[in-house]
Amino acid sequence: MTQKIDVDKAVLMAAFARIHVWGLAIAMGTVWALMIFSATAILIIKGAPSGVEVGPNLALIGIYLPDYTVSWSGAIIGAAYLWVIGAVFGFVLAMLWNLTHYLFITAVVVRAAWWKLMAD
Amino acid sequence: MSENNEASTLQGDDIKINQQLLHSVIKLNTLLMASVSGVIGGLTMFLVTYLSLFRGLPEPGHYLNLLGVFLPGYEVSLSGAWIGLFWGTLIGAFLGGMFYRVYAQSIELQVRRCIERNRVGGDLMQTTLRMSGRHLGLALGGLVSVGLVITTSWLVIRGTANESANAMLLSNYLPGYTVSFLGSIVGGIQLFFITYIICLVFSWLYNTVAFSRGGHSCE
Repeated sequence: MTQKIDVDKAVLMAAFARIHVWGLAIAMGTVWALMIFSATAILIIKGAPSGVEVGPNLALIGIYLPDYTVSWSGAIIGAAYLWVIGAVFGFVLAMLWNLTHYLFITAVVVRAAWWKLMAD
Repeated sequence: MSENNEASTLQGDDIKINQQLLHSVIKLNTLLMASVSGVIGGLTMFLVTYLSLFRGLPEPGHYLNLLGVFLPGYEVSLSGAWIGLFWGTLIGAFLGGMFYRVYAQSIELQVRRCIERNRVGGDLMQTTLRMSGRHLGLALGGLVSVGLVITTSWLVIRGTANESANAMLLSNYLPGYTVSFLGSIVGGIQLFFITYIICLVFSWLYNTVAFSRGGHSCE
């Protein structure tokens, strides 16, 4: 019985573990920043024929990220933007995930307490 | 002997996991992940459409409109934003659910480690998730690579492969990718490995930050 209780608790601990909000925010921001920096850098390194603009399609990201261009300075600006956007996204994702778990567990506990009260 | 000490003697095959409980929590988490991803996916599509509408002058949504090829009814307009919200929610929920089903393969492993290392105990709600880069990579890498194969195949099936100049630009990042069945598989394999590596870096960063800032896992 002891083993069963411990194993069941381990299952619940693993399944309902909280996402570390700052951990996810920092990791997501960093990875997104690296991704846009790499995407821009690859196009710059590959280059384009003389007189042809480098990465005109990727440059359209400038619609959403003001001052972003396919250039080394643009890569840094894009990385800074994406770090912030990724961090906010990660923060919101972690908060939503933790909140839904918290609400669900609270609902289960309240329902159990209600049925116990009714049974008594 | 305390409960925890007793549990610590369990190793490998001695650990009998309640499969019914395990499947129930995985099912619940899949539902929650689908809900969260659906909300985020829908809102992202809605906001991106509005941003494109008001910032993309003089040709609002010139490229974003291409999503209409995959999402019937979608266009960059005020009403299109709502259709985008619908598709974003639907696709976000589906992908979120699929993602968690694959990632959940790591939970049984986590439970075993948790018991073997005698870390069962404490407040249930205070355990911090330790991310498995390998499982994250398999789940996300699988989804994006299958997604690439499906979307490319759709362009081939509708007969616009030769006109898909924008899709062809992916070959800048995925050498060998072309808008064809074979090209999509070549691209999909490369995309899987790139995503897998990104996930390993991502989970390493997450675990480093989380467990250096007071988080504690049962593993």
